[in-house]
Amino acid sequence: MSESIEHKTMGIQGANTDASDLPHELKDTITLTTLDKAIDFLSTYVVPLAPIAKWARSNSVWPLTFGTSCCAIEMMSVGMSAFDISRFGSEVFRATPRQADLIITAGTITRKMAPALITLYEQLPEPKYVIAMGACTVTGGMFNDSYSVVQGVDRIIPVDVYLPGCPPRPEGILDALLKLQQKIRTESLIMQRKRAYNQRAVRYVDYDTGKPIDAVKDLVQQAKLELESN
Amino acid sequence: MSETPASPSPANPEKAAPPTELPVGPYGQFLSEHGIPSKRLPDSTGVETIEVEPAQLEVTLKRLRNSEEIALDYLVAVSGVDNTDTFDSVYHLWSYSDPNKELVVKVRIPKASVAAEQLPEVPSVTPFWSAANWHERESYDLVGIRYVGHPYLRRILNPWDWEGYPLRRDYKQPVDSLNDKNPHSFR
Ligand code: SF4
Repeated sequence: MSESIEHKTMGIQGANTDASDLPHELKDTITLTTLDKAIDFLSTYVVPLAPIAKWARSNSVWPLTFGTSCCAIEMMSVGMSAFDISRFGSEVFRATPRQADLIITAGTITRKMAPALITLYEQLPEPKYVIAMGACTVTGGMFNDSYSVVQGVDRIIPVDVYLPGCPPRPEGILDALLKLQQKIRTESLIMQRKRAYNQRAVRYVDYDTGKPIDAVKDLVQQAKLELESN
Repeated sequence: MSETPASPSPANPEKAAPPTELPVGPYGQFLSEHGIPSKRLPDSTGVETIEVEPAQLEVTLKRLRNSEEIALDYLVAVSGVDNTDTFDSVYHLWSYSDPNKELVVKVRIPKASVAAEQLPEVPSVTPFWSAANWHERESYDLVGIRYVGHPYLRRILNPWDWEGYPLRRDYKQPVDSLNDKNPHSFR
C-alpha cells in the first residue's frame, strides 16, 4: 500500500507518503485502524472484492455518542428496542471519536460548541461520515438568525446526509442511516478520494475563540514546512 | 407589620394612572420605617415593586431577609433589563414561611449616567447572598451590568472572549461565515 487516504486528509502532499516517513509529531494523528487499512486495501486494489469490503463497512457504521439538545432524545430512542438501530449494525454508540465512524449531530450547535465539534470530527478515523440531524443543524432551524447558534453545521464540517425535522422521528434516523449505507456502498473510488480530500481538517473556525478564520490557511501544510526546515 | 402584602386588588387602580404618585406599599412602608427610602413602581401582576438607590441595595435586601415579620428569605432571581433609558437590575424575593409574600426590588441606572465604553455599576449581593452568584454572572454576560464586589464576574453562557452584550438593544450580532449575514460567506 504505497499511498493511503489519510495522508491526503492530513493535507500532506509529499513524494513518498509512507507512514514511516511521517515526522514523529504527526504519528499519533494517524488514526486508521488495521481493519480499516485492510478494508481500504481490499476495496482499492482487489477490485472484485470491493463490493464485499464496502458491504462490510456499510453495515458497521458506529456512531459517536454526541447529543447537544432535544434531538438527542430521539437519537437515544432509536437505540432502544422499539426502533432497534442494531438491525443495521449501528447500535454501538462509542464514547470516543477514535472508535466511531459517524457523527449524528443531534442538537443545536452553538458557537461555543463549534470548536469542540470540529475537534471531535477531526479525531474520527477515516472514513468518517456526518448526519446532520434536525432543523437546527441543517439550517439553524428555530434559532434562525440567532447570534449564538451556528446556522447549519455544514458551515463547519462536511455533511453526508441531511435529516430535517424538529426533531426527526426515529424512523427518520433509520432512513438517514440507510441512505448513508447506500452512499458507502455505491461510492466510486474517485468519489471516495474526493470526499476524503474535502474532509481534511476544516479550518474555518479558530479553535480557541470559536470565531471563523476568513482567510483559510492550510495549517498542517505550514506545520510540515516548519518541521522540514528544522 | 401584620398586613398581608401583595393582594392583587390595590394594584389595579394604580395601573390606570401611572404618572401620579403611587401609594406606598407595605414593604415600602416597612423600609421607610427603618430609614431606607424607596419608590413604588407600577406592576401589572399585583406584586409590589419598589425601586431603591444602588447604595441602599445591600442594606435593603439584608433588612428584608433578616427581619422576623417580613422574612423574604428566598432570592428567586437576579435579572438585568435594558430599558430604553435605564439599565435595571431586578431582584425577585419570596418567603419560605409565607408563600403569598413576594416583592420585586429594582435598581435602575440611567443610561445618561454611564460613560461611553463603561458598564453600568451595581453593587453585588453575592457576598451575603450566594444565590445571586450565577445570576449576576448571567446578567453581566447578557446585559452588561458590572456587579461591583462579585467574587468571579466572568461570562457564564457565552464564550469568555465574546464581544458585546447580546440582550442590549444596540447589540449587533457577529457577521461571519457561521451565519447568513456575511456576503462573502462560503455558501
Ligand atoms: S431541530 Fe428541534 S428537536 Fe432538534 S435540536 Fe433543534 S430544536 Fe431541538
